[in-house]
Amino acid sequence: MLSRLLAALRRRTRKWARKRHGIDPDPTTLSPRRIYIVPSALGIAFALMLFAMFLGAMNYANNLALGLTFMLGALTLTAMHYCHRNLAGLQIRSASNEPVFAGQTARFGLALENGAKLARHELVIANEHGDATPVRVESGGRVVLQLDVPAPQRGLLMLDSFEVSTRHPFGLFRAWVYLNMDLRCVVYPKPSPRDLPPPPQETDTGGAQDTTRGDEDFAGLRAFHPGDSPRRIAWKAYAREQGLQVKVYAGTAVTSHSFDWESLSGLGTEARLSQLCRWVEDAYAAGRAFGLRLPGVEIAPNVGPGHRQRCLTALALFDERAARG
Amino acid sequence: MLQRLVWVTGGLGLSVLPHIAHIRPWILLLAAAAAGLRIAMEVKHWPMLQKWLRSLLAFVALLAVLLDYRTLNGIDAGTALLVLMAGMKLLETRTVRDLTVIVFLSYFALFAAFLYDQSMLALPYMLVTAWLLTVTLMRIHQTTSAMPVREAAWITGKMFLQSLPLAVLLFMLFPRLPGQFWAVTAARGAATTGLSDEMSPGDVSELSVSSALAFRAKFAGPLPAPAQRYWRGPVLHDFDGRTWRQPRTLFVPQQVAASAPIYDYKVMLEPHQRRWIFALDVPTRWPGQRAIRTSDLQLLSPREQPISTLTSFELQSATAYTVQSPLPEVMRRADLRLPQGRNARSIALAREMRGQAGSDQAFIAAVLAKFRNEQYFYTLEPPRLQLDSVDDFLFNTRRGFCEHFASAFTVLARAAGIPARVVTGYQGGEYNPLSGYLLIRQSDAHAWSEVWLEGRGWVRVDPTAAVAPERIERGLAAALADGGESLPGSYLRQSALFNRLQLAWDAANTFWNNQVVGFGESQQRWLLEQFNLDGDGQELGIALALSLIGFFAAMSAYLAWRFRPRARDPLAQIYDQLCRKLARRGLPRAAHEGPNDYVARVLQSRPDLAPLLVEARNLYVALRYGPRSWGPLLGRSELSRLKFLVNQLKV
Repeated sequence: MLSRLLAALRRRTRKWARKRHGIDPDPTTLSPRRIYIVPSALGIAFALMLFAMFLGAMNYANNLALGLTFMLGALTLTAMHYCHRNLAGLQIRSASNEPVFAGQTARFGLALENGAKLARHELVIANEHGDATPVRVESGGRVVLQLDVPAPQRGLLMLDSFEVSTRHPFGLFRAWVYLNMDLRCVVYPKPSPRDLPPPPQETDTGGAQDTTRGDEDFAGLRAFHPGDSPRRIAWKAYAREQGLQVKVYAGTAVTSHSFDWESLSGLGTEARLSQLCRWVEDAYAAGRAFGLRLPGVEIAPNVGPGHRQRCLTALALFDERAARG
Repeated sequence: MLQRLVWVTGGLGLSVLPHIAHIRPWILLLAAAAAGLRIAMEVKHWPMLQKWLRSLLAFVALLAVLLDYRTLNGIDAGTALLVLMAGMKLLETRTVRDLTVIVFLSYFALFAAFLYDQSMLALPYMLVTAWLLTVTLMRIHQTTSAMPVREAAWITGKMFLQSLPLAVLLFMLFPRLPGQFWAVTAARGAATTGLSDEMSPGDVSELSVSSALAFRAKFAGPLPAPAQRYWRGPVLHDFDGRTWRQPRTLFVPQQVAASAPIYDYKVMLEPHQRRWIFALDVPTRWPGQRAIRTSDLQLLSPREQPISTLTSFELQSATAYTVQSPLPEVMRRADLRLPQGRNARSIALAREMRGQAGSDQAFIAAVLAKFRNEQYFYTLEPPRLQLDSVDDFLFNTRRGFCEHFASAFTVLARAAGIPARVVTGYQGGEYNPLSGYLLIRQSDAHAWSEVWLEGRGWVRVDPTAAVAPERIERGLAAALADGGESLPGSYLRQSALFNRLQLAWDAANTFWNNQVVGFGESQQRWLLEQFNLDGDGQELGIALALSLIGFFAAMSAYLAWRFRPRARDPLAQIYDQLCRKLARRGLPRAAHEGPNDYVARVLQSRPDLAPLLVEARNLYVALRYGPRSWGPLLGRSELSRLKFLVNQLKV
């Protein structure tokens, strides 16, 4: 009950902070004004102990005990400043995040960059799904941390608000900032289980689109580099005094498929996308060329990781209503 | 974990160390055993104790403290409980939070140590321990990787120094409350030397070998002459033939008329756990709430507040006085009483001498003359006396210290029908020119008599002065030296350098006691007067608030400066400046553009800037990407040329 109440409270403060600070640019430098700081539970315990010490020292009119109490009290206030400064001026920059399939966990990389002349200690980055272990960022250093966000559906996953916090130096205070950076991660549809065979729609045989693979067709000449096979040297061109040239072949005899949205009639939108995703993944794994045809989207057959990413992203971001209307 | 545990345990040990003298050994042993067990568990990977077992242990420990000390209130029991509970807590220590709690308990133990010892030497130890505890606190909160001790020590050391000004200001400005607001049983210090409420032969001479300080006194005017420096302590009336005791009954107060000279002075008593306030002869003014004057002219602190800490009193005394009212019958009877059938020879002697003398005064003079002229010796090591101590002393041993003479004289006077009592206290004192204080040590302990003479009231008679006048004039060491004896440590005390060092040390201690340990309202008022403030609570409050605000401002500014961004190299700064200027003309540099692409794009829309920008670009590219072999000198002139060009660029 209490934990649910706290969680609700936390959501509300996050929403409020989002309204207050707006969307943060990338990179964001933490300004001192947006850093919140409160005593931790240990800090409150320490304050109570200091109060007891204060009462005791006053009661016995013991100046040295009072002096120790004041010393520790002043030290606590100093620690508060250190805690606050440990965050102020820190730069947060988005680092890479890899696309994931729906149902997996997206990992957002965030780089903490310390441009200050002193090291920063015990920095924690957290969102409602967990936190990264505390790190130390040396002066002029940079540490990349991962934040996990579960990705249940395809589409663009926003990294919702997260916080950067610290309890340095003594764990008596906790300083933190709420951040709302506009970071997105592409979530591909979840590949459906392998039950439907790929559509037998062969569009093209022997098409050579991939310049980096295969050696079926003559593709042209290029300048000789040390290490090229002597059998590939174009001696005829050399005889024509065109310099040392090498014959280049490219292309494989590939059978390319075109995966079509329309061929999957009878399924729901998400199911169709999942099936298309499965086909794309299988074709890519088998090294076959494939194309994709969605309402409003047409991707010509090709091979390679870039092509795969393009196709999967199209699937991830497919908006049926926009396509129809 | 092990390293943290060892550090935390070590810190706890250092904080408990000052308590060793006054904590029961079983508590220390138990806490140490718990710490040892916990560390062994960590090393050997033993499982933790069951929760019920730990609770049981803690409960038993609490009960044991309660049984042993009979209370949980008060410093002694509280400290014992603190140490024991810290040990029990160690047993269940697993997380960072548990370790932190132990460090907190250690801080508290350190705090409690100050309640026992506020000496100047205690402070450095406490500060260093507090610092080490804080280092430990910082290191146990480093979860990433163990922070090197040196780094943690450096950071916390700096933090301590940064906190110091605020702590000092708080200390000086925080208003002090008069008196305790929560009565607790006072600390039982280690057995202290000092006068007791009874006197047997040998008691005072035993005390005389101690050079420990009894109290200090500072006079507003001139000092009383050495022979006048009688500091009155317990007055003893009841005699059982050997031991003098204080009476259980209270007497009727008598009127005292004091005459000049009147001395204004302050006594600063070392804690002696008794109620006596040693005043010069007869106190005529004293702080009424904190002291009472009994009918036999002793000054006492209130019953529930023995002198358990260093305490000062502002007093006024007279050395010349007369008691005007007649001696009440109760007091006369009490001060004439002698134990039945004891010291028969002395009593017979006194009656005979009184018969010959004719008057009380003449009798007293005759007794003193007897001590002076016959073979009586003043010695620190008198022979042991038999049951009838006065008979044995007067007729056999004839060797004694002040208590022997005082006791014998009082018995003789009582036997002669003169009311008499024994007064114990101190006589003399050493003047410290560095601090202006008179130092009275245990070795100045003394005993003398007071007799009631009709018409004059109570008159002090010091039989020691008859035997060894040097004792009164020049102190104990001189008196003994005449008899060929020496006081232990007197060789050192005669050395001039040692004496000077000792006096300097005492002056430092006096300053410490007055200005730090005894810091209070009067010092605060003086402090504010230095700033032309009248020193009421409101101004203290304002000063406190101002110091807090000042601390916050200074701390923020300092840390902002310490955490300032690292300086970029000069070339980058100039290039940044160039980009800023162009951006203000609506041509910002895109993130992907290098200097060549950027300048090319700018020149498309602003061909008029060409000569300037092209040269600037060439210089920048050459300086940034060119060969290092250019050398610093050439590089510098290029740099200044680039700076000049950028400055030429008008926005």
